Amino acid sequence: MSDFLKAYSIQTWLESCPQGYLEDTEFGHAIGETEPGLILENPTLRQEAIQGTVQLVVGERCAMAASSGLVNAAPDYPSKRFLATQTLDEARHVEIFTQRLYDLGVKKDELEDVISAHANPNLVKFAEVLLEKVDKGDFLAGVVGQNIVLEGMAFSVFEMMHASNADMNKKFAHTLAGTIADERRHVGFGENRIGSLLLEQPEKKPEIERMQKEMTYHMLATFADSFRGRADEMEETRRIAQEAGAEKKSQVWHGTDLTKANPEEMENVLADTVLKEFKTRLGRIGLEYQSPDQA
Amino acid sequence: MSVETVEIHARDHDAFLKEVHSFEFWFQSVEGYLASHPYGVDPSAPIPELDESEKEALIATLSTYCVGEVAALDGASGMIGFAPSRQAKIFLATQVVDEARHLEVMLHRLAELGVTDAEGEFEARANRNLLAFRKKLGEFVEAKDWEASVLAQNVILESMEFAAFHSHIQTADPRTAEMLAGVLKDERRHMGFGENDLGRHLAQAPHSRSRLQEIKKELDALVLATFEDSQKALGVPASERTGVGRLYLDTVARLGFES
Repeated sequence: MSDFLKAYSIQTWLESCPQGYLEDTEFGHAIGETEPGLILENPTLRQEAIQGTVQLVVGERCAMAASSGLVNAAPDYPSKRFLATQTLDEARHVEIFTQRLYDLGVKKDELEDVISAHANPNLVKFAEVLLEKVDKGDFLAGVVGQNIVLEGMAFSVFEMMHASNADMNKKFAHTLAGTIADERRHVGFGENRIGSLLLEQPEKKPEIERMQKEMTYHMLATFADSFRGRADEMEETRRIAQEAGAEKKSQVWHGTDLTKANPEEMENVLADTVLKEFKTRLGRIGLEYQSPDQA
Repeated sequence: MSVETVEIHARDHDAFLKEVHSFEFWFQSVEGYLASHPYGVDPSAPIPELDESEKEALIATLSTYCVGEVAALDGASGMIGFAPSRQAKIFLATQVVDEARHLEVMLHRLAELGVTDAEGEFEARANRNLLAFRKKLGEFVEAKDWEASVLAQNVILESMEFAAFHSHIQTADPRTAEMLAGVLKDERRHMGFGENDLGRHLAQAPHSRSRLQEIKKELDALVLATFEDSQKALGVPASERTGVGRLYLDTVARLGFES
């Protein structure tokens, strides 16, 4: 166990993250990069950007609470040290996405009201299911919920957003690139650490699988809320961008052109990608994926 | 973002705190002294040779330090869950990584001294008064008692470490001294947070002071007993053992908590 955990030391984290891909950045992007004028000047695009970013802040606040809460429950020092780096990664994500809200014009004294107004209730419930395990000091369930389910979801969401923004919003795309690198590390720890612990505590499997089922239900409901019934909005956003002269290049992600897909197609490709990853990762650690559709 | 140090003090207090408690501030601060210094030391510098008794004394001392760092790691991470503001949570996240790094660099130094299972052995060598302190801090965090946790962790424990490391650096071998110098830079930031947070809290709730003084009295006894035991184990004459204790009490007094 200790050999793979060496890859998760503080020194390795310092060299790859702050001294690596975060060097010469501010709030995760290149110094001086700004939100495109098109977004800042158009109320529809700006509002959509704010709503999307609020969900990221909510998710990262949950991740920060979960990883810091799991430090005390960790059964060994290398796991504590890794979770310390994850705590700071998540805090950085809270900071950079909060900063994005400020960059989009949200005033500092309005921040909590804006978050309350736009936070998806299903995402809030998703967080509550995970934090209940963390509050009980349940390391095994906490790491599965956090590092496989939450981070697995975040990884795919960030990749999709990165693909959508790569041409139109370099600042946000750069911000996301750093978070994607972090999530890759977090998911890797989950997979590597939990397998051996589950072999020692096989009686925990049913409870953990129930937690995964409940979190997946709320995750899929969040995706549904984000995409369904938004066909008109999406068309309007694309029309505005096109009229403003934004270059129309294909943005293909997992076989779907995000510039042309309708909301149902976007929801499906995201859900399918996340669930496929869940099944693979859960299988690797000895858990069976539980579909929320099953009784 | 460049941290404009001249402008910081001209800004309003809240904006100042938001800046100095941010990830960005931490990131720029530590870059200066951690870049090119894996495990807190210059990789090109030779590892000093120590005789057996020096080695054993250093191993015992570093083992005790490790217990303090684990207490701070568990304390800071536990406090994030009930910290009263987003900025406090983010600051504590930077402290969590600092404390984890301190544990890692001290374990690394122990390995250099020939301890084959440093992680498995340090608790067995730890001072019982420090273990009692760690238990007390854990109780405050478990109870989600913010003011007691900040006092115990960011004022008392950090001042204890500051005094111990500051004293030790004067006589340590160059490699240990370099490692501790980097740790001290972090501790100053942690103490600053404690001073700011409790200072503002007491300005708004002065009735808390007497309770915090009682807690401090109890913890002082454990801190001073730890110093006494450690110095005795190192063979320091009784007449010379009070220096680090005085430094600790002076440090805590400067943070606003007189004995």
